[in-house]
Amino acid sequence: MSALFKPWTNTAFRLALFGLAVLFGGGLIAGPMLYVRSPLYTQQQDPIDQPVQFDHRHHVGDEGIDCRYCHTSVEKSSFASVPATSVCLNCHSQVWNKSPKLAPVRESFFSDRPIVWNKVNKLPHFVYFNHSIHVKQGVGCVTCHGRIDQMAQVEKWAPLTMGWCLDCHRNPERFLRPREEVISMTFTPGGEKEQLALGERLKAEYHVATRTSCTTCHR
Amino acid sequence: MPSLKLPILGSSGEGSPQPRTQWRSLDERERGLAPSGEFPPGASEIGGTSRREFVQLLGASMAFAGAAGCLKLPAEQILPYTRQPEEIVPGRPLHYATASTLGGRATGLLATAFEGRPTKIEGNPEHPSSLGATGLFEQASILQLYDPNRAAVLQEKNRPRSWREFLAAQHARANALRTKDGGAGLRFLLEPGSSPLIGELRARIQKLFPNARFRSYTAVSDDEAMRGARLAFGAALETRFDLSKARVIACLEADPLHPWPGSIPAMRGWADKREPGPEMNRLYAVECALSVTGMNADHRLRIRPSRLLPVALALAAKLGSAGGALAAFGRLGAKARLEPGQQRFVDALASDLRRAGRQGVVMVGPRSPALVHALAHAINSSLGSEAVSHQKPVLHDTETGADGLAELAAEIRSGAVDTLVVTAANPLHTAPYELNLATALDAVPNSIYRGLYQDETAQRCAWFIPATHPLEEWGDARAHDGTVTFLQPLVQPLFNGVSEAQVLAAFLGEGDKSPYAQLREYWRATRADAATAWEKWISDGFIRGTASPAESPQVRADAVAAAAQSARFETASPALELNVVPDYRLYDGRFANNVWLQETPDPVTKLTWDNAALMSPATARELGVKTHDAVDLGLRGPPVHAAVLVVPGHADGAVTVSLGYGRRGSEQNAAGVGFDVAPLRRASAPWGGRGLTVTRLGRRHSLAITQEHWSMEGRDPALDMDLSEYQGPGRERIEEGRVPVATMHTPWDYSKVAYKWGMAIDLARCTGCSACMVACQSENNVPVVGKGNVEKSREMHWLRLDRYFSGSEEDPRATAQPMLCVHCETAPCEYVCPVNATVHSDEGLNEMVYNRCIGTRYCSNNCPYKVRRFNFFNYTYNQEDVEKLRNNPDVTVRSRGVMEKCTYCVQRIERARIDSRVQERPIAEKEVQTACQQACPAHAIVFGNLHDPAQEVTKRHGDERHYFVLNDVGTRPRTAYLARVRNPNPELT
Repeated sequence: MSALFKPWTNTAFRLALFGLAVLFGGGLIAGPMLYVRSPLYTQQQDPIDQPVQFDHRHHVGDEGIDCRYCHTSVEKSSFASVPATSVCLNCHSQVWNKSPKLAPVRESFFSDRPIVWNKVNKLPHFVYFNHSIHVKQGVGCVTCHGRIDQMAQVEKWAPLTMGWCLDCHRNPERFLRPREEVISMTFTPGGEKEQLALGERLKAEYHVATRTSCTTCHR
Repeated sequence: MPSLKLPILGSSGEGSPQPRTQWRSLDERERGLAPSGEFPPGASEIGGTSRREFVQLLGASMAFAGAAGCLKLPAEQILPYTRQPEEIVPGRPLHYATASTLGGRATGLLATAFEGRPTKIEGNPEHPSSLGATGLFEQASILQLYDPNRAAVLQEKNRPRSWREFLAAQHARANALRTKDGGAGLRFLLEPGSSPLIGELRARIQKLFPNARFRSYTAVSDDEAMRGARLAFGAALETRFDLSKARVIACLEADPLHPWPGSIPAMRGWADKREPGPEMNRLYAVECALSVTGMNADHRLRIRPSRLLPVALALAAKLGSAGGALAAFGRLGAKARLEPGQQRFVDALASDLRRAGRQGVVMVGPRSPALVHALAHAINSSLGSEAVSHQKPVLHDTETGADGLAELAAEIRSGAVDTLVVTAANPLHTAPYELNLATALDAVPNSIYRGLYQDETAQRCAWFIPATHPLEEWGDARAHDGTVTFLQPLVQPLFNGVSEAQVLAAFLGEGDKSPYAQLREYWRATRADAATAWEKWISDGFIRGTASPAESPQVRADAVAAAAQSARFETASPALELNVVPDYRLYDGRFANNVWLQETPDPVTKLTWDNAALMSPATARELGVKTHDAVDLGLRGPPVHAAVLVVPGHADGAVTVSLGYGRRGSEQNAAGVGFDVAPLRRASAPWGGRGLTVTRLGRRHSLAITQEHWSMEGRDPALDMDLSEYQGPGRERIEEGRVPVATMHTPWDYSKVAYKWGMAIDLARCTGCSACMVACQSENNVPVVGKGNVEKSREMHWLRLDRYFSGSEEDPRATAQPMLCVHCETAPCEYVCPVNATVHSDEGLNEMVYNRCIGTRYCSNNCPYKVRRFNFFNYTYNQEDVEKLRNNPDVTVRSRGVMEKCTYCVQRIERARIDSRVQERPIAEKEVQTACQQACPAHAIVFGNLHDPAQEVTKRHGDERHYFVLNDVGTRPRTAYLARVRNPNPELT
């Protein structure tokens, strides 16, 4: 009786085993690595529900309120900071002061209990990011946070992975803009070539010395 | 290329003159260096699980738990303020001037707060008691603020009561007492204090209750010093020392080089004159147990405690033998009957003091008899010492010791006391045994105790009031020199604490007044400029120019001589003597629940989590005991179970024990640690006595001693030489420690960066006090591991203080050396890390990246300095919420399985860098101070930018004494050490 399986089937079987091992091993290693970099994990473009339906489209886009009116410490501290309830009521004690949508804000103020916002841009606890130095050196709000003026609910715009941080820390000229344009949502120097020229000029002018040493961010 | 020459322990080390082999323990001295692994046996095992099993389990749990943990980013919340406080910017720390008190005297502090929670304590650079530095007690007090064991409930006989109920009950009772007999049954037992506010409250209470009586009590009292001053001057006066004006310093059981309350200026003054040269000072120590001061002394005489008085007398006699102000003592020399060796020491000291004249000074410790203090006053005055000044006592009471407590106990027993208010720190624990204070307190109908913990005293008092921590209260106090200092709260009381002033005010019947209002009103009434200057005082932390004026008392040499003439000296007898000392870490036991201090090794013995019966090798041999032996100590009272620790340099025929252990209160961390020495103490002789018996129990009590951890394999890392050697052949040894060693690595190029960070540690200045260790622990969220783990060499201190001995076991020379990551240019750890978790930064830091670390520990194996620490467990997982508040938010809290080590306080560098860049200027010299540098009372540690030749650190890197530890290994460290040079008296060498 002839062999049930021809000799070449051994090779095929070995190849299949090898292929499976590659698939399985690669999947175990590469799969998670791809996953944690995908928006599925980083929660990019994933609008997050908030206790108050605060609409940046209206406040930034329509009213043109300066980012720093609410995010007061962005030039002074590591945190841009979420405004105190009292800041909301600076205006809303006068306008829309009966709106049911603002009921949680009024309640927070009168009961002296904070509004519990859900964090959108999260960093691991071993990462120390500082807003003040980035704003000072000409990194625009929009560069990392996207078109906030077009977001009904704020969503994470950038992946905030280390590779993404290093993209800019290695080549800051691709992203720098004049300090007076930092809060602009629409600033553009023109094309990529103009940006590079502007970036190089600003890098020299602002003494931008981006660092990539580990302890710059990890302490 | 220089030859590779390793100074091996025990070898003669040809070429290097006068080899001084160093040893760290008596064991090591006898048997030489044990061929040891990096860790002691069992360090890598958990319980009964072997490392192999552990790794298997770890692998399995990783596969399951690890993958599951990464599926989703954790949800987090942001809670903004409802009303933005004006001064707070989230993420930016604020610094407030405040103070803490110990021994009744205040040390000015700057407390750092993040969003209203204090996280770090530093010294107030302008305050006279701090000069910007702090001791380990001040550093560690921040941990006490958040101690979950602190008592939080006001109680009457274990039933919770409100503060109002307390006020109402006491008001009624006090009124009755007052109308009955002017408050004759009212007694106060206070913590010794200098607070002007408390002083005024006391005066007002006294007015209301003319027959009430105030006393102060502390275990570490100045009673003997006050009696000595009365004898010498006819008045109770305090002595202030300015050691920067002294060239010859004689310490008779005095310990000014450890940061006890008020010691920091003395440490700074001493250290400032340790530069080798003609201006260098010389320190003599006469003591029983080796102290921090004794470790730093140029000459040390070890004597039994009872021989201190004869030595002091012999010194006065020798100085008076040539006539002059001390002539009256001249003929008393024979009475002292010193041994020849002691007489030689005293003669040399006397002639040195005479030569130094106005630059000579004699210091006496608080535990020594009054007559020794009086003799020192007589000597200092005859020398015309510029280093000494006198002032009226800053404390309210000049009697704060056990005598007053004995009187109080007698009064209670006679039934005279109806209401007793206790604010002294746990007197029941430290009170001499024969007073039987526990039963006395039981007999008081209305006893009130205010304390941080439900300690021994609290358990015996009817009422218990939780106390405020200094960072929670408004108050005032005087510094060691009398400067008025303010305590400013940084948080509301976390545990419903009540301040001492509030408790006293309860007896004035003025209702419940806020502590701030009390303080403000008092100062408004006291000083006319309070209206305009108040804010400045609070922001400075003290009132400038309020130091006590110097008195110029006349010494009554005849009276002192007469007292010395009639004094009865103990004749030489074989009876064993007891020597009780306050603890270097727990003081009198009030810090017993502070795990930072419990785990800080004792500066001299390197003992953690215990006290021990210290004795010399000769005494131990005589008694037939050895280290770790459990023994019974007996002296009149019931025996005390202790553990023996044989230490070099201890006087023969004496046993030293320290206060503060064997606690029986509700403090969980203090429970079962060490033994209580109270049964050995008498009110008449609280610091010792003769006739101690030591009985072997045949058991073993394991002591966790760190002195042999982290072996440096027999090299001489701490250079310590005499001035003559330094000026001669010693230089070669130092130079050998800094010649560049050839390397095959391309050197790093730092020419393109603005900062090249470096550190320099001057061993001549370092006293070994260990304040830096606690400062580092506080700044860098360094966990505590517990006694069991310390025994396995798993302690986590990034900065350790090595202590080396050399010479004989009787009179060893002790050298302290702070050892922390030296940030090598060619770092051995960097080459072996398989995952690049430790790398070199562009500015020369050796960085540790926790999130990359997988815990192979190769780096630690390859580190010749043994400064890397591994998290064998997740030491912080069970931190309670209140404890988490203390963590420095600028530093990652590490978890299990990662390596960590000194970072040169990189979080401070980065904060300064960002601030300086935002302000478009370079980082200034003192802008970045490492935590250890900032705390150091002696300025031994400096840190800065080696690119800037004007900075102190660069100057020290060019100093003639600088060398690099293990230079021959070729690691090229960024931390330079400056060799220690001693200044011995040629007459004694």
